[in-house]
Amino acid sequence: MTVITQEITIHSQTFVLHPNGAAYWKEKSILLIADVHLGKITHFRKNGSAIPESAMYQNFDQLNDALQYFQPKTLCFLGDLFHSFINKEWLLFSEWIRKTTSKIILIAGNHDVISPLKYEELKISVVYEWIIDFVLLTHHPEEREDFFNISGHIHPGIRLLGLGKQSLSVSCFFKRKHQLILPAFGAFTGKYILTPQEEEDVFAITKDEVIKISKK
Amino acid sequence: MNKKELHNIAEEWFSNQSWKPFPFQKQTWNAFLQSKNGLLNAPTGSGKTYALWIPIVLEYIKRNPDYGTKHKKGLKAIWITPLRALSIEIKQATERFVQEIGVPLTVGIRTGDTSQKERAAQKRAMPDLLITTPESLQLLLASKGYDKTFKEVNAIVIDEWHELLGSKRGVQMELALSRLKTISPSLRIWGISATIGNLEQAQDVLLGPDSKALQNSVLIKANIRKKITVKSIIPKKMETFPWRGHLGLHLLEEVIPIIKKSKTTLLFTNTRAQCEIWFQKLLEKHPELAGEIAMHHGSINKETRLWVEQAIRNESLKAVVCTSSLDLGVDFAPVETIIQIGGPKGVARFLQRAGRSGHQPGKKSVIHFLPTHAIELIEASALQKAVQNKKVEDRIPYLNSFDVLVQYLTTLAVSGGFYPDEIFPEVKSTFCFQSITQEQFRWILNFLTLGSQSLQSYDEYKKVDIEADGKFKVHSRAVAMRHRLQIGTIVSDAVLTVKYLKGGFLGSIEEWFISKLKPGDVFTFAGRNLELFRVKNMQVLVKKSKQKTSKIPSWMGGRMSFSSEMSTLLREELYRVSSTDAKISKELVSLSHIFNRQQRESIVPGPNEFLIETFKTRDGFHAIFYPFEGRFVHEALGSLMAYRISLLLPITFSIAFNDYGFELLSDQQVDMQQVLDNDLFTTQDLKSDLQKSLNATEMAKRKFRDVAVIAGLVFTGYPDKLIKGKHLQSSSQLLFDVFKDYEPDNLLYQQAFIETFEHQLEEGRLQLAMERIVSQTIVWKECKKPTPFSFPIITDRLREKLSSEKLADRIKRMTAMLEKA
Repeated sequence: MTVITQEITIHSQTFVLHPNGAAYWKEKSILLIADVHLGKITHFRKNGSAIPESAMYQNFDQLNDALQYFQPKTLCFLGDLFHSFINKEWLLFSEWIRKTTSKIILIAGNHDVISPLKYEELKISVVYEWIIDFVLLTHHPEEREDFFNISGHIHPGIRLLGLGKQSLSVSCFFKRKHQLILPAFGAFTGKYILTPQEEEDVFAITKDEVIKISKK
Repeated sequence: MNKKELHNIAEEWFSNQSWKPFPFQKQTWNAFLQSKNGLLNAPTGSGKTYALWIPIVLEYIKRNPDYGTKHKKGLKAIWITPLRALSIEIKQATERFVQEIGVPLTVGIRTGDTSQKERAAQKRAMPDLLITTPESLQLLLASKGYDKTFKEVNAIVIDEWHELLGSKRGVQMELALSRLKTISPSLRIWGISATIGNLEQAQDVLLGPDSKALQNSVLIKANIRKKITVKSIIPKKMETFPWRGHLGLHLLEEVIPIIKKSKTTLLFTNTRAQCEIWFQKLLEKHPELAGEIAMHHGSINKETRLWVEQAIRNESLKAVVCTSSLDLGVDFAPVETIIQIGGPKGVARFLQRAGRSGHQPGKKSVIHFLPTHAIELIEASALQKAVQNKKVEDRIPYLNSFDVLVQYLTTLAVSGGFYPDEIFPEVKSTFCFQSITQEQFRWILNFLTLGSQSLQSYDEYKKVDIEADGKFKVHSRAVAMRHRLQIGTIVSDAVLTVKYLKGGFLGSIEEWFISKLKPGDVFTFAGRNLELFRVKNMQVLVKKSKQKTSKIPSWMGGRMSFSSEMSTLLREELYRVSSTDAKISKELVSLSHIFNRQQRESIVPGPNEFLIETFKTRDGFHAIFYPFEGRFVHEALGSLMAYRISLLLPITFSIAFNDYGFELLSDQQVDMQQVLDNDLFTTQDLKSDLQKSLNATEMAKRKFRDVAVIAGLVFTGYPDKLIKGKHLQSSSQLLFDVFKDYEPDNLLYQQAFIETFEHQLEEGRLQLAMERIVSQTIVWKECKKPTPFSFPIITDRLREKLSSEKLADRIKRMTAMLEKA
């Protein structure tokens, strides 16, 4: 599948936005992915909600596609990697990690209740934030002087209007002056509708295209 | 005691009240005492409670000759009522009889309003007669040892069966009855129903098709004819009466003299929002009515509802603004007048509401119809005819509601557990599941135990376990608790309780409404203006507000549709307008200026014409089709047309419907001649095209929400509890997409599609409508601007979407609204 990405430049650094919700920092070769919510389907099933379990493989397929597309040196998860407590999806995740060559860092989010020790066993370092030059990576969006913040947590989406009383809501990258919020990467996650202001940019994502949205 | 002596007890009591039993009451006593099952067709206020309660007591007397001195403990009879509001009335009536004839039988109520303490007490010692709802009966089936509780029950009465019949609560009842037939060997099953088109079928569904119970049953008709007078409120100045709208406030002043003239008036509104607004506005415009009017709807707290009901009986209120919450049962003798605000959509409902008034013998029922917009006066005119001809619609029972079956089997697994071989024949004996196959049942069982159809590695699904001897049982306490919380088939949004900051419970409100408010916003609830303070732990904390303007929650509630009977009447009325010789009603006369304008700008179609109008506005290109077949047919037809047109070119439609027609709105112009040339109204491939159109719109997705909640796929949260349910919350919309991609053959997923059209349309109704259209001459009018007929449709904001364009192409043409700084 050919995909159409968008490039944005922040302080003369290049970030590639991918339709699957990942953002790639070209100069540093870091792939940023937020809110995968692994284990969610198993968590539901464990509690008696019969969601099709084959759906849980989709997250891994998508992760593989993203890694293959960008071949990053580092993969950084911006929080909510795991939806809830440990369950058997952890085993799938461990297998997946073993086959992955990129260095992996997790910035812990509010859903990440699994012990950092478990992650360290898989050689994943867990941190609460990560600063690289002028970039501040966090789970929750935050404003800090002199930094450009990249985060997740919100699962941003946008409502679009058109002639003929048409309306649509789609997941998006949401860019403020000093902030970029990534859409949720996970397959079984919802979205939260944001309304942009004048100086804010929105990049909607479809299956194979990132589209910059014009505003009214 | 022989039959005559038993009858004497009853007749003596009747004559003590200076009443005389009606023939239908005696017939019912006889049939019951002969151990028959049956369906009693009797209206509210006719003495139907005594038709059935008396023989239940007489049967007890017969079996227990020393009834006066010795009381045999245990549950003997169950009375099912669809509305909690009715239970008190029934309790009073039943207690009165046993107390006065000196039989020490006790009567208890068990509904969602019953306190935990009382429930526990009932568990220890059941009353002799239990008045309860279908949901609470299911809850009893979910408790340990239910078979002992029900063992000695020899009568179950399902009151207002017509209300349950066309709903999933009816299916819930069918399943409960299939179980009770086995565990209560001497059970007699009786239903009470108002007049509906399909009474015989109602009896089949109640007792089970081809069942022994049905063979040993009777249908008794009360045949009480009540005179009903329908008066339309016709605006004095028709010219300024609006073409659209659904509130009807323009005519508020017209109801004041009606209220003042009558002892007690009930004003029926179609939605709870409308109810709140009318109550508010009546008080605002007529402060002198303060203290004399009240409001009644399902979201108001129990105490207030009971107070209002009592006040109606005491004649201390002049008027009550209400919703369908006062449709049923309760016998309010002082009510003299009914006002129906907006179209009631069905003849049966209208007659039933009319019947709420004039309860004293010999009095007639008076109902005023208040139109909310001009075109609705055609409806008023059609209703007059309907009342004359007593054309009452059918209530269509559900078939193969697998979601309810999943819930029911989980219920049985939560209490004592069940053996499939024992339960399958019971399930198959019901009307709903008469055609269920072994394979489908096996599918359901797998779904309960594996959460799929085959065992997978890495899977941790946990719900129902199979014990060594083959018994299906829930072992997890968490699963059992969540299931009990979720029993019930009336699906609503997550509900929050509304409370004053300083304490005091006001009622409950749907979460989606509150989610749109910020602290400090003022909204109207239970007739008061309230300021939102904050939302915490499923509670909405509010303060009183003096602010005048406020938001009013618009409770969603299903939109109703005209029945086919009503649609036919409506078309006939309309055709009179175009014919020159027919005599037309005063409602239609009052609409003449609108008809003239419609005629000028387009046409008023006659019996052989099918009207399509196209015009352009700021919103885009409109195409309006007028089949006059009722909302449900238009929903199907509208999406079918949109789908078929979307095959001709990549296009996106926004579709709106009402009872008169439907609109296809687009940002591109549709070549209507091309549409007509392509024979898009053909009934060929109807079924498959409809299925495809459903895939393209979101209708099935919305239906799936109910299915998912009923089947326990979605957990709606712990009410009033602090326990974190958060990690388990998910929207059914997301779920729907997962099923679509990964398990499209899932029976519950498929059920959403079947229910969307097949259930709400009587068999073949769409086909008939299309055949009629094909036989008519299509008249396509290119209009300059919206016509009077089109107005109520094009202004409707509840819309469906269908698109054959690429998502990215659509996004590129659309824009995002900026936040106002």
